[in-house]
Amino acid sequence: MALARSARPSGELWPPLVFLGVLAALPLLVGDAYWLGILIVSMYFALLAVGWNLLAGYTGQFSMAPAAFAMIGAYATGLLARDLHTAPWIGIPAAVAAAGLVGMALGRVVMRLSGPYLALTTLSFAEILRLVIGNSYEYTRGDLGLGVPGLFEGRLPYYYLFLGALLAVQLGVFLLLRSRAGLFLRAIRDDEVAAASRGVDVVFWKTAAFTLSTAISGLAGALYGHFSQLVSPELGLISQTGLVISMVVIGGMGSLLGPLAGAFLVYLGSEVLREVGGIQLIVFALLVILFARFFREGLIGLARRALARRGA
Amino acid sequence: MNGLSVEKVAKSFGGLRAVAGVSLSIAPGELVGLVGPNGSGKTTLLSLVSGHESPGEGRVLLDGEPLAGLSPDRIARRGLLRMFQLTRVFRRMSALDNLLTAGRALGLPPRGALARAHILLEELSLTRVRDLDGGQLSGGQQKLLEFGCCFMRPPRVALLDEPFAAVHPTLKEIMAGSIRARHREGQAFLIVSHDMPVIAELCPRTVCMNAGAVIADGPTRAVLSDPVVIEAYLGGEGA
Repeated sequence: MALARSARPSGELWPPLVFLGVLAALPLLVGDAYWLGILIVSMYFALLAVGWNLLAGYTGQFSMAPAAFAMIGAYATGLLARDLHTAPWIGIPAAVAAAGLVGMALGRVVMRLSGPYLALTTLSFAEILRLVIGNSYEYTRGDLGLGVPGLFEGRLPYYYLFLGALLAVQLGVFLLLRSRAGLFLRAIRDDEVAAASRGVDVVFWKTAAFTLSTAISGLAGALYGHFSQLVSPELGLISQTGLVISMVVIGGMGSLLGPLAGAFLVYLGSEVLREVGGIQLIVFALLVILFARFFREGLIGLARRALARRGA
Repeated sequence: MNGLSVEKVAKSFGGLRAVAGVSLSIAPGELVGLVGPNGSGKTTLLSLVSGHESPGEGRVLLDGEPLAGLSPDRIARRGLLRMFQLTRVFRRMSALDNLLTAGRALGLPPRGALARAHILLEELSLTRVRDLDGGQLSGGQQKLLEFGCCFMRPPRVALLDEPFAAVHPTLKEIMAGSIRARHREGQAFLIVSHDMPVIAELCPRTVCMNAGAVIADGPTRAVLSDPVVIEAYLGGEGA
């Protein structure tokens, strides 16, 4: 008889589906526009966290540019709408493609690097891009921000649009992880040399994961642009990437539920801490250090262990 | 020629000449032992063959085709699969997924890979632990798992670096039995090992290296009793 599987966070689909089901019912309880807005922005971060987790949690590659690719998505759909009067149903897929293509081009270079070099290169890319957009006033209106047409009147339709996108992305990631690509990505995360020696084209699959991750960030940014109706270079600030990393590390890397739960916990927590006086990043940085050092599987891993102990 | 051919291959790391003009060939179906004292260049030679290092001089051919410039994954897909001296399994993937990864990367279809993985798990006595992560297996079980990954799709030549090191005698016998059975079916091997009794029992032919060069190549019993080989082990040049 086979022994039981370990208690590490796995790729099970039902926990995130339950989580998204609860989110679907939440507007019945939360009718307030302010809190609906907070939940929508939480879903924006959840999309970024799911995309970053695909790269960092499942492939072991640490990019410092998820916020920069969200900025690319937001500006792509915004500029298409302003300059070419493109409809959002074209602008949003085009934004996803733009972020994915830039990601693929960058990935072909940076995915030959690893460890701190990859993080530093993506960090440099993100900062250079943010400065270029901020200084290209004649095209982007610089720090004044670019107006993006809205999609709906109230906040509820946006809520369900973000929820639908989150569900689609989560299902896509789940299916990817069940395919041979999922085997290869996890193998690369565990040991690149061993993966290559068993026939896995490491650079190709790392680039593919990076491209997908940046396309998801582009989708998040495009939706956020239409929701907020104003995008500025602040969308690509490194502190935004810091938030995304906090969400994944605290929630639980390499699991489907961890980034979702982490995104809501961290963003709602940051709203509470905003009242205390802008100490969010200090608190989250300390939590990231704590989790990365002592609880590598994040809150989801801790919860699974607690459940396993109770069941034993 | 068919099989693996290493022609005057050399590799230096700074001032250290790790492999100094080594030539050897392994015919299809041949089982060859590679021995030599620590630091004699055996593992470096395997890295040059498997594409993890590129030779400074010389060339490596598989079935007459040069492997120069090919990445390790392409060399693996051409049929040279390697087991490492320091065991490399995917520590956060189940034993079954470890095997499936190798099978799918080498082009097996999903059902074919699954069927093959179950056969190997059974053969290597790993069925009981198939759902445990690689990192949760004992050192010997990890060695067996890495060994199994080399045979998801039978390679042209299997390069095994110290497969028996620190392995429990029972597991060692499972692996030796598997090597014998595969050799009978025509599988070619190059086995690096310090375990002389196993090399003497398994390998009809043995190559001995010292200080980066081949100092003996021939029938195993003759090589192991060669005074030059004994001198190298007891403290000759480069030992």
